[in-house]
Amino acid sequence: MAKDLTSHRPVAHSLAEIESQLSKLWARAAAAQAVAAKAEADVAAAQAEAAARSAASLAASLAAAQDAGGEAGNHVVARTSVLNLVVLAVDEGTAERCAATIASAASRHASRSLILSAADPDGEPGLEASVEALSLTTAAGRIETGAETIYIRACGETGRHLASIIVPLLVHDLPVALWWPNDPPFDSHRAERLLPLADRLIVDGSAWSGNGLDTMAKLATVAEGLNLVAIDWALLRQSRWREAAASVYDLPDLRPYLGAVRRIDVAYATDDPGDPAGDTNVVRPLYHVAWLASRLGMTVHVPLRRRPDGRRVATLRQKNHEVDVVLQPAGSKLPAGSTIRVVITSRIRGTDLVGEVTAGDRDVEVTVRDSGRDRIKRTYLAPRLNDVDLLSLSIQENAADSVSVQALAMAHRLLGAEPGSRKGVDGGWSRRTRVGSQEDD
Amino acid sequence: MTTSRQPNPPSRGTRAASPTRAPAAPPPARTARQLREATIVARRRARPEPDTNPLRQGLRLERVPDPCAFVLFGATGDLAHRKVVPALYQLWRTNLLPAEFSLIAVARRPYTDKTFAAEVKASVEKYSRVQPIDQGAWAEFAKRITYQQLDFGDDDGFNRLGGSLDELDKERGTSGNRLFYLAIQPSQVTEIVRQMGRVGLDHELRGSGWRRVVVEKPFGRDFDSARLLNHEVQKVFRESQVYRIDHYLGKETVRNLLVFRFGNGIFEPVWNRSFVDHVQITVAESIGVEGRGAFYEETGASRDILQNHLLQLMALVAMEPPTSFSADALRDQKLQVLRAITTPDFEHVRGNIIRGQYGGGWVQGEPVPGYRGEPEVDPESETETYVAGRFTIDDWRWSGVPFYLRAGKRLPKRATEIAIQFKEVPLRLFRDSTGDPAPNVLAMRIQPDEGIMLRFAAKVPGLGLDVRTVNMDFAYETSFVVDSPDAYETLILDALLGDASLFTRADEVEAAWAVVTPIINAWAEMPAPRFPDYAAGSWGPEEGDALMEREGRRWRRI
Repeated sequence: MAKDLTSHRPVAHSLAEIESQLSKLWARAAAAQAVAAKAEADVAAAQAEAAARSAASLAASLAAAQDAGGEAGNHVVARTSVLNLVVLAVDEGTAERCAATIASAASRHASRSLILSAADPDGEPGLEASVEALSLTTAAGRIETGAETIYIRACGETGRHLASIIVPLLVHDLPVALWWPNDPPFDSHRAERLLPLADRLIVDGSAWSGNGLDTMAKLATVAEGLNLVAIDWALLRQSRWREAAASVYDLPDLRPYLGAVRRIDVAYATDDPGDPAGDTNVVRPLYHVAWLASRLGMTVHVPLRRRPDGRRVATLRQKNHEVDVVLQPAGSKLPAGSTIRVVITSRIRGTDLVGEVTAGDRDVEVTVRDSGRDRIKRTYLAPRLNDVDLLSLSIQENAADSVSVQALAMAHRLLGAEPGSRKGVDGGWSRRTRVGSQEDD
Repeated sequence: MTTSRQPNPPSRGTRAASPTRAPAAPPPARTARQLREATIVARRRARPEPDTNPLRQGLRLERVPDPCAFVLFGATGDLAHRKVVPALYQLWRTNLLPAEFSLIAVARRPYTDKTFAAEVKASVEKYSRVQPIDQGAWAEFAKRITYQQLDFGDDDGFNRLGGSLDELDKERGTSGNRLFYLAIQPSQVTEIVRQMGRVGLDHELRGSGWRRVVVEKPFGRDFDSARLLNHEVQKVFRESQVYRIDHYLGKETVRNLLVFRFGNGIFEPVWNRSFVDHVQITVAESIGVEGRGAFYEETGASRDILQNHLLQLMALVAMEPPTSFSADALRDQKLQVLRAITTPDFEHVRGNIIRGQYGGGWVQGEPVPGYRGEPEVDPESETETYVAGRFTIDDWRWSGVPFYLRAGKRLPKRATEIAIQFKEVPLRLFRDSTGDPAPNVLAMRIQPDEGIMLRFAAKVPGLGLDVRTVNMDFAYETSFVVDSPDAYETLILDALLGDASLFTRADEVEAAWAVVTPIINAWAEMPAPRFPDYAAGSWGPEEGDALMEREGRRWRRI
């Protein structure tokens, strides 16, 4: 499904040329569909390209692409009925990578995607754009427009007004997901202007630079201030871990131990044993703690702090007892920042129950020891989710996923935020942030 | 989860809070009844939350069942090879089975573990819905298959089976959890269940793991035999251990029916006798008996489709909203509908239940023989291959609304659909238009082309005021290109997880037979039908159409 996006694209210099190019491409697409169907390929792609100088001409190009498809004898139905996906890529390499992921996920989630990158900030203002429509053959053999992707390179002054380009190109009445790969500059004016456009924000906390904790705190502030659903792939990747941890307490006789947790240990991988610089990304280990704490009704007693030995520690409270939290760096063949092991220690009337979830190559192993005796030992198959899986899960994400919201809010409190604080970059976030009249950054 | 309760409203004679500001008055003295009620409320508040696992909340991935042994009786049969094992393989491939999973294939024929695995692999390669199969995943799955030859009447064989399962618990960590899947002839169910009871395979002792049994339809052949079968099964297994599988209920669109009804607020207000004119449910098959003539001779359309698929769909359409999505809450509501269906008496059957049998004809461009010409079918057979009926539900929501159900073999196409036809508009405003607006229809297609369609009137563009009916169509495949899981995958996973929502409970089965048995009995008393009475490739006998036409209605063209 992913296309070679680096191949030569025809360039047009006027609207008439754009429409002509699109008509030809849709006609070729129809032929390609027939060939692909015969070859038992259920997906064929049509690529329509246009260079445009304004957002309005882009919309016209899309309409022309669909009309051309119809004229070619194929009933092309717009299927961008899932959501608008806006990608803010820092460079063209990231844009291409995101485009490939979107193309692979298109068969599951047909969306209109805008992939924006800023180029040559000191150059002449203007934008270069190309339009791509991926069409799919359904099981019934009908050709349907699968997804639309608009690539936009904004140059010069135009690159500082991305919001004004995005808004006219959104399919109306559909939710808007903003995918901000790499390090989102949450304290920039660009973020202040773009985030209010979105209903959900997709980020990957495990890819943030440094230890990731500052960015995590800012994400939490933004999400709370804007009532934005933040979907962090660092948290999504832990789904199977959470399933494994939850399974321990499915046994009714072990469930009371959830209310008597005394200690949570998370070991994570570092490149440098002991993580002396403290710059290993610890977003994933912290999410484990935050998820457990938020689900088990804990409050933060002492926020997370770093010890000289490289460990990060915090103290939580559950009912009337304290819960020690330790994030422990350790050498491992796993990528830095990956979780190696989560250990939950509970105590009831002097009996310790230790639940341990350990990462394997393709699985997660769960062991439970009851007063030192092995009680449960089982393995969960847990292959790593790739970017296509993660994007699909992000799109499927229920807007009202309170578990993620509470986990992020708890992580924020573990980092020292007061409950309910909404301090933003400029003292607060609002959906009423102005659009279009000021520069993005 | 406890629900918050509003404070008790002021009782008659107690002054309600005044809308104007007034000095706070001391609380009035409470009557003994108020005190008693307050105590009850306080007790309810003090009641602890239900014992649920808070870590389970919001997990996005499908839950993985506990380690377990899956004991497949009838492992060499058609159902096992076409449906059950491919579904298990698919669950394994998608990491939805536990690593400590074991499949114990049980049947009479002599096989070794290896020869059985090789044979079943060929079936999976043929019938798996995802092609080609993942060889690596299959190799891992195949390691978990063992074969045990067993004659179902052999006491020693069952003793050995019990021993093998105990060994598996030790060797493979299946933790004593066992699911027994009976992919066998209906006549063998009682014997196998009795044997399992004798050996103690049903016992769920504390800490010894769960034991469940999955029983395939048909669940009896009339009310008495169904009740007897339930009785025999329940001698050994508790009802909560029994999972009666009707694969229709595992289909994606059937499950979506529940989401459609109870996840969308706009339909519920019109989902009743005030707005609905009638409901049509069709289960049409273009195929014949496909080599299962002997089986079909014993069942016919009424037992094969009406008693289970059609009545279950009717119950899902007509039921009241359940208070939760728990298995019993859902099944309680379905049961209420089944029990409220007017029991058809002899006269009702004569006038409102139509049976038919196909003769020779053409289906999809191919000539096909009549039913009596099929292999293993009596040349004078009176078995019905078509049934259509008008049913009513005696409750406040549906009183007076006819439900027309039909099912048949060798109809022009394979299609299953539920259509809700709404009443006509009360006043025809567009009298000068070329045609009256047709009543609104909401149709849910279950197969093929799963989707939902709403039909409504629209003005034809132009200077006049012509009105035409148009469709607003939602098709699954155009919004969700992902493949839906096979119904068996859904249901097997649910059974392994202990979720019985989509399985039929004993009282549901009996309630459905209480509707169908009088029909079968009435037919037995009537003169022999003049079969065949419809040509293969047609929409059934004329009487089926007349059933609706006499009330000014007609079957939808689907």
